[in-house]
Amino acid sequence: MLVYGTLSSPVFLTTGNFVNVFTSMAIVGIVVVGMTFVLVVGGLADLSVPATIACGAILSLALQPAIGPVPAFLVAVALAGGCGLISGLLVGYIGINPIIATLGVGTIVLGIVESLVGGVIVYGTDPATAELVKSRVFGIPVVVLIFAAIACVGHFILSHTYLGRWTFATGGNYSAAEASAVPVRAIKAGAFVMTGLCAGLSGGLLGLTLQSARPLIGTGYEFSAITAVVVGGVSIMGGAGSIPRAIAALIFVQFLTNIMVLQGVRTPVQGFVLGLLIAVAVALDVALRRRSVA
Amino acid sequence: MEFLIFLQKYRVGIVLGLTLAISAVWVPGFVSLTTFSLGFDRGSTVGLVAIGLTVLLIAGKIDLSVGSVFALSGIVAIMLQPALGLWPAAVVGVLAGAACGAFNGLLSVVFKVNSLVATLATMLIFRSIAHWLTDSQPMAGTDIMFSVRLAQIYFDLFTLRSALFLFSILLLHIWLSRTVSGRNLFAVGSNPVAAEASGISADRIAFLGFVFASAMAGVAGVLQSLAANTGSPVFGSEMTVAVIAAVVVGGTRIEGGRGSALGTLGGVLTIAALTTAMEFQSVPAYVQRVVAGLILILLVLFDRTVPTNRRTNSAVTAAE
Amino acid sequence: MAFKKTMFGAGTAALMLTAGWAQAQTVCYVTAADAHAYVTPANEAIDGRAAELGLEILSLSQNFDVQTGIEQMSTCIARGVDGIILWPLDPQAYIPGLARAQAADIPTILINSPMNEEADQFIVSFTGPDVYEEGEMAADSLNDAMGGAGSIVIIAGQAGNGTTIGRVGGFVDRLAEIGSGIEVLDTVNADFDQQKALVASRDLITRFGDEITGVYANDDTMARGFIDAWLEAKPDTPMPPIVGINGQKDAFESIRSGEMYSTIVQSPIEDGLLAINTMAEILAGNEVEARLPIPLTVVTSENVDMVEPAF
Repeated sequence: MLVYGTLSSPVFLTTGNFVNVFTSMAIVGIVVVGMTFVLVVGGLADLSVPATIACGAILSLALQPAIGPVPAFLVAVALAGGCGLISGLLVGYIGINPIIATLGVGTIVLGIVESLVGGVIVYGTDPATAELVKSRVFGIPVVVLIFAAIACVGHFILSHTYLGRWTFATGGNYSAAEASAVPVRAIKAGAFVMTGLCAGLSGGLLGLTLQSARPLIGTGYEFSAITAVVVGGVSIMGGAGSIPRAIAALIFVQFLTNIMVLQGVRTPVQGFVLGLLIAVAVALDVALRRRSVA
Repeated sequence: MEFLIFLQKYRVGIVLGLTLAISAVWVPGFVSLTTFSLGFDRGSTVGLVAIGLTVLLIAGKIDLSVGSVFALSGIVAIMLQPALGLWPAAVVGVLAGAACGAFNGLLSVVFKVNSLVATLATMLIFRSIAHWLTDSQPMAGTDIMFSVRLAQIYFDLFTLRSALFLFSILLLHIWLSRTVSGRNLFAVGSNPVAAEASGISADRIAFLGFVFASAMAGVAGVLQSLAANTGSPVFGSEMTVAVIAAVVVGGTRIEGGRGSALGTLGGVLTIAALTTAMEFQSVPAYVQRVVAGLILILLVLFDRTVPTNRRTNSAVTAAE
Repeated sequence: MAFKKTMFGAGTAALMLTAGWAQAQTVCYVTAADAHAYVTPANEAIDGRAAELGLEILSLSQNFDVQTGIEQMSTCIARGVDGIILWPLDPQAYIPGLARAQAADIPTILINSPMNEEADQFIVSFTGPDVYEEGEMAADSLNDAMGGAGSIVIIAGQAGNGTTIGRVGGFVDRLAEIGSGIEVLDTVNADFDQQKALVASRDLITRFGDEITGVYANDDTMARGFIDAWLEAKPDTPMPPIVGINGQKDAFESIRSGEMYSTIVQSPIEDGLLAINTMAEILAGNEVEARLPIPLTVVTSENVDMVEPAF
């Protein structure tokens, strides 16, 4: 695909374009890291992402005048993690279906955050923070570096620690994991906390970049994240997957969109191609897995 | 305990009753025939889609694409009006909805893609077809006066749409509780392997479930487009969540195997009554969302934590 | 069900008896959204002015969803309000609701966005900016800036939205009408959203690069998105002339700093005030014009210090 991109568009293979694609990707990429945990642990999907992103963005701007930019940012991310904790408790300990739990918690959280600020748009008061987020180190935008750091940490946890092994065990075979003394409930809840934190972080970054935040700021990110994770071969039934694969898929999807835009493909068609891509990728995955079992 | 089980069994009815009672006391002008008929009419759009989703959820599948199908069917029905005339175009619109369902069924049943992912994909696909067909512009129908007639209230109680909704709920109730195929649906939803073993084709039922869900979304979409005399690619973008909430508040389990027509009726009416009452009081939209979300979570929480003496098929689901 | 109907029936009878109460007149305001750079100040203007006039406002937010708005029209009618102010998000879809309101003798006016001609018979007045004219004014302004030739990109609002259709349509029609040599390279929808405009602009800049010699954004928020993308990609190349609409504060600053060429001031406060004042006239039994526009001003670096930003 990269070859096609290079051949078909002279600007495709330029540093500028690559930086472009990665910057656009960073915000959703951070969410993808968290979402991978949720899918691997067998938690289907976290639909509260738009709410937790909005929570991160709105609070990190709204609290700035009162407690300063850095504490505001930390409080916003922590509260987003708190939302994840509530979803996690409902799913892990009480056994409510994740779709319903995250949908409900998301609705409530977004409503509360909106009432806190009176249901209007929040503007930033400290332009220096925007400069910081938009600045570059060695020509690489800071958000991309943050994303890379989060991805590395996430990958390390999932692939090289007990926590990660337990996550796979819980998602792969819940009762077997429980029998071998894996704290399945806590692990399941933890995945949602992780997504909450990630989404809060990416919301905070988004808010600082734009210097304004509205309640609908996170709309659509949940589906973009799920798309990347699923196309990356992470089974929605849990127990399999890895963060590098999810991110590779995200990069693939981003470049695909990028090439379509460079080719002047209209927006509706892009949705069509993306939908088809998800369906085909997953159907292939299922077919291949069935064959290898047989 | 007895009391809790009673509460549990009739929780939808109780919540609906409470909502109506509280609204009647606190909200001036709430108790009137006009409020009732218009509230009912507003619920029926979501309600028609909810009927289809109830069936699909009982069969253990989910459909996120209903909002897109809603828009697409409406567009087809409006687009073909000049060529076919109003009624044939409407029929084709519903058929287009059913065809979307067949595509969902194909992905989910034949290619074994998880229904959540499959319909996430088709949600994007159908929505982009809707944008494609209309060039992203809302499209006007041929007969605005028909729309005005469709919005008329008969006998001070029903619009055409709310009557159709009520009638469909009744049919669904009879089907689910009195027929063999209805019982098979529950069997497939609670344990597809066991159902297959006892000679029920789980795949066929799931496939038909998808077709039915999308056809109902099509009916609702076509009616909406006729009522608004507009086919718009942005219609129904907020719908899927509202419908799932209504069905789940009505006691249908998203894991399959449990649910009822009257529950869905209760869920739809509860949400419609709640929204209308809060709008009467000019409660901000974000506070409305908090209330709706709390009711959803509390009802599901209650469902999980209070032990039931229901049919065994719910026990099977719980173990899953 | 049967029981419930009786209950409602009995309730109605009771209500009929109490309906004679003299109360403050209530106006139902079906607004586009709660939180939006333009809509929020308009909402506040209406609430504030209504309090002065002694009118009670029943404020309902559609959150940019037409379906929600259609249902909220029903609520207004059921509530039996004295007047309705509707912010339409679709040129057609509210017509049955408007017809119902008319049947219930509730006067309705439209605020901000127009609807199709078929709606005219059901409404008393339409107050607000002429979005088509805004498009035309933007075309003239950009044509001046570019000396009548060059190639541009259009960053449009939400697809299918009345404001988008008017602002793009007026612009394109006007270019053709004056025989301008300006060519439109591409039109993208960025939903009046800064982030979406930023992402779309990055791609446009990569794709067309220096071919872009002018930009038309359907509002200032999206113009900001393009400016950020340009500064990111080509910090050393001078910015092509950008024309926005709405007249936001930060657009004024961009015009002063030379990042933007012009914007068109359309004040949300004027927009809201005109609507509620018109409704008050109607409720007082006075005749009003069927079309009441709010003033529009093109702002460039020449008059930027003489005009007040809209919000």
